[in-house]
Amino acid sequence: MDRKLIRPGSIEDVLSEREKYGKDALPIAGGQSLLVLLRNKLIDPIALIDLENVRELHRLETEADTLSIGAMTTIHALSSSPDVRRAAPVLGQAASKVGSTAIRNLGTIGGNLCHNELGADLPPALLALNGVAEVRSKKGARKVPLGQFFRGYFETVVGPEELLCRVDLPKLPANASGIYLKHAISSEDLAIVGVAVILVPDGKKPRSVRDIRIALGGVAPVPFRAAKAESAIGGAALSAEAIREAGEIAASEAEPMTDPHGSAEYRRKMIKVLVRRAITTAIEQAERSSNGQA
Amino acid sequence: MAKLKLRVNGEDAEVEAKETALLLDVLREGLQMTGAKRGCETSHCGACTVLLNGAAVHSCVVLAARCEGKEITTVEGLSQGGALNRLQRLFLKHGALQCGYCTPGMLMAATALLRRNPHPALEEIKTGLDGNLCRCTGYTAIFDAIRAYAAGELEKI
Repeated sequence: MDRKLIRPGSIEDVLSEREKYGKDALPIAGGQSLLVLLRNKLIDPIALIDLENVRELHRLETEADTLSIGAMTTIHALSSSPDVRRAAPVLGQAASKVGSTAIRNLGTIGGNLCHNELGADLPPALLALNGVAEVRSKKGARKVPLGQFFRGYFETVVGPEELLCRVDLPKLPANASGIYLKHAISSEDLAIVGVAVILVPDGKKPRSVRDIRIALGGVAPVPFRAAKAESAIGGAALSAEAIREAGEIAASEAEPMTDPHGSAEYRRKMIKVLVRRAITTAIEQAERSSNGQA
Repeated sequence: MAKLKLRVNGEDAEVEAKETALLLDVLREGLQMTGAKRGCETSHCGACTVLLNGAAVHSCVVLAARCEGKEITTVEGLSQGGALNRLQRLFLKHGALQCGYCTPGMLMAATALLRRNPHPALEEIKTGLDGNLCRCTGYTAIFDAIRAYAAGELEKI
């Protein structure tokens, strides 16, 4: 039988379809990964639930101190939005590195997170930004910090009756700086290693931080925050030695796998290099802006 | 099956298709418009690139049903009065194609780029074409043709 296409106009209607079909129907956001899975016969749902006509999912707005990003916001919108550039430049950088122009034009933040493919660019940036997902079902809404959102390769906590509706990013301190670095074979590839770093300088003591966040993608079943590296470096003066050590610790926290893009050993080596570069660049950025040169 | 009303290259078209049919299949098989090429079918190669409301998309990963009410432009829509447009003529002049299989996609990605940014720097051209592969390794000539277009170069054939 031909696959059905259901096109609800509201979140409530999507959730009714989710409840009705459960695992037998899949929500389709931008379709940039899902339609490839369908074509390759890796999935075979009875129906697709098209999210395009749900206006609420397309909202990108700042409420109080939170940047709220609807699940259907395109990657292109993230990379070109002045709101994102102002409030979460690391996310804009990561978005501009996703896939290719055509994929960014249709791909969405919600699809990127729910597909949870190894080496996706947005998750490290959103983890470093302390993003919180709003996941809804007929029974209600729950807030899931992104640190608890990813479950395993291609798996998240979003259940068959649920829908990821939006991601909220709390406001960063004004003096925060950050960067997303991607190591890939070709620009449109997934990251072999993706590193997002956000740091908040101490403000009084030079080269000291009040808060540092290091998130890694492509090097474990799920993207994650390198908590040990963060606590080893937090509060200390950031000497070249301390930064190098943070890279070593972050590499020891990863569980990389070997695949055709790179061996586990190579991935660990690249984590060390990228974490060091990312922290160094973020410090330089912070120092430039505190000197009024930003 | 569903009846789709699409607007392709400024003309309305009605076509029967499966509910979850892909735009590439509907264009090529439903509408017999074979300008968009079937390449990898996994959103890597860009041979199937068309414009959707002016933005470059890979039609192998677009649901045709979603294109109702939107403006679709394929390579067939570039020529004017049966003559190749200036960008197409400059592709010829600069030898920007060998086998030609990627060319429709390259032209559409370049068209989207030039509409958005009429004077792109080389890096911007490369980013604009990052979703399009040429296996004859003709990138330099393709970039030359696009730069020539942006510089206002004329070419008669």
